[in-house]
Amino acid sequence: MNASLDNSRGNTTVNVLLGVVVIVMLFLLPKFVESTYALHIMILIFINIVMGSSWNILGGYTGQYSVGHSAYFGMGAYTTMMLMQFRQIPPWYGLWAGMLAALVIALIIGSICFRLRGPYFVLASIAVAEIFRVSALNLKDVTNGAEGILITEIPPLTIGGTVITDFASKVPFYYTGLVFVLLIILATWLVQHSKLGYFFQAIREDQDAAHSLGINLTIYKNAALGISAIFTSLAGSLYALYVGFIDPSTVLSLELSVSIVLICIIGGIGTIFGPVIGALVLVPLSEALRSNLIGESLISSGLVKAESTLGHFLTENLSHAHVLIYGVLVVVVILFMPDGVLGFFKALAAKKRKEAA
Amino acid sequence: MNIFVQSLISGILIGGVYALIGIGLTIIFGVMRVINFAHGDLLMIGMYGTYYLFTLFNIDPFVSIVITIPLMFLYGAFLQKFFINRVLGALPQNQILLTIGMGLVMSNAVMLAFTSDYKILSTTYSSSSVSILGISISSPLVISFIITAAITAALYWFLMKTNTGQAIRATAQDREAAQLMGINVKRMSIIAFGLGASLAGTAGALISPTYYIFPQVGSTFTLKAFVITVLGGMGSIVGATLGGILIGVAESLGGAYIGSGWKEVVVFVLFLLVLLFKPSGLMGKSNA
Repeated sequence: MNASLDNSRGNTTVNVLLGVVVIVMLFLLPKFVESTYALHIMILIFINIVMGSSWNILGGYTGQYSVGHSAYFGMGAYTTMMLMQFRQIPPWYGLWAGMLAALVIALIIGSICFRLRGPYFVLASIAVAEIFRVSALNLKDVTNGAEGILITEIPPLTIGGTVITDFASKVPFYYTGLVFVLLIILATWLVQHSKLGYFFQAIREDQDAAHSLGINLTIYKNAALGISAIFTSLAGSLYALYVGFIDPSTVLSLELSVSIVLICIIGGIGTIFGPVIGALVLVPLSEALRSNLIGESLISSGLVKAESTLGHFLTENLSHAHVLIYGVLVVVVILFMPDGVLGFFKALAAKKRKEAA
Repeated sequence: MNIFVQSLISGILIGGVYALIGIGLTIIFGVMRVINFAHGDLLMIGMYGTYYLFTLFNIDPFVSIVITIPLMFLYGAFLQKFFINRVLGALPQNQILLTIGMGLVMSNAVMLAFTSDYKILSTTYSSSSVSILGISISSPLVISFIITAAITAALYWFLMKTNTGQAIRATAQDREAAQLMGINVKRMSIIAFGLGASLAGTAGALISPTYYIFPQVGSTFTLKAFVITVLGGMGSIVGATLGGILIGVAESLGGAYIGSGWKEVVVFVLFLLVLLFKPSGLMGKSNA
């Protein structure tokens, strides 16, 4: 007993040290890595971690499976972009407005949808997100409709007259993303170790029991949704600024909502690092498919001839297949590792340890 | 007045097909308590099947349902046996995610195979219309409504009169009790999913002469199917029939009076209202 306690304490120290080392390395990375492509992948991973982790607070810790998180993502993206494009308000003010807007709609949506449970809640969350998507498509005067909003430059960030950054390269986005990731991980850690977090988890495990113990379901579910929506909106704003283009079919789509859930499911829901693992698995995979790295490497390695039908098929079509792989991954994960990749390997390790003992 | 009657009638006609989609979803939910998020994708597969039967073999879309129904039944039974069956005891969230994943696989596999181009199945009668009492109605809609009505009637007969139908209804009422009565619930589940899939596929075949055919067409119909089943009461077949027609009419009138871009919003707002004020649906039991 004592030994295991000491052991776990030793592990924590090692973990903290490891964490510090990783963070320092991440902060130094742009100094050593010249490749913009590598930075691009890292930024996408950061955005995905923020998306997944914010869903995790609602879905993983509170057990409310929202499949409509694109509403908050799109809210952040659209508010920031619209304020910048049509009102000339710099994005670092705009993203606060986006967070506020997401919080407000989250509380409205929450007060309506949290009266429903289980599958009904899932359906309602989808319906709400679809209402946002169709509205953004139709309110052409406000949102540019299906054309979307395209920005060419972001005004430089200045504090007291000195230019901090002009957003000309990928590096400022990298650091912004990294800071957001550290913030959401801190937020998740705080949630997990606070009274609020215990309330959330009690609701997840058995909401009737939680209710009978005096936990106000409406307040705490809305609190979880609020926190979740604010960070999702932040991810949306960062995405919009980074990519420079948004339209309803990218930032408000059902596909986006599903992929947000997917990041958590793949990594393991209700754990701090689940979404991190999920993003680390999903982003490189979908980028490799999108840029057709897999098809090209198969061809260049000589396994498949470029002129053959299969080679032709790979170069032409495989770049469209990243969503197919998402689908296959979901099916495989749900059927064979319902606790996600992290949970699967933990269980595997535990089994090994048991066998060894 | 004329616009109103016209929208009402075409709403009812298209509602018949919606009812078919809804009934499929509601049977699956009733028997297994699983919400099938891949329902629209099954419909999409039905559409593609019909399209290729028509372009390759020149089989009329309304005749091809004779092939679509059994094939889609087998496909549904296969999905049930190898995928859905494994998560019957799992968390509802996991069931939902599994079917979402299956839907993604189907729509994207179709996209890989046939590209994401919009396909149009144009028959000689696609754009023709019949005129009844001065109101002109698209004739493919009329034919599909008649077929829908026939299929729905046959389905009611099957579920009410045959042994298998009664066993399915018993399973839907109480899975454990049905099992104790010696009903093979696993088999009933397979039949139920097969039925659901073949109804969705048939609906796809019936709308293919009047709709664009593309791999992502399913998601709209999945959402519509949810609205219909929730509206009618999850698991209620009569409810789904009524719900389908109601949604058809709501969409058609919304499109005529508010604008076609907003008609989906009308449907979703209606959906949220029903979820909030009568979550058991029009025909559902209050404690369901």
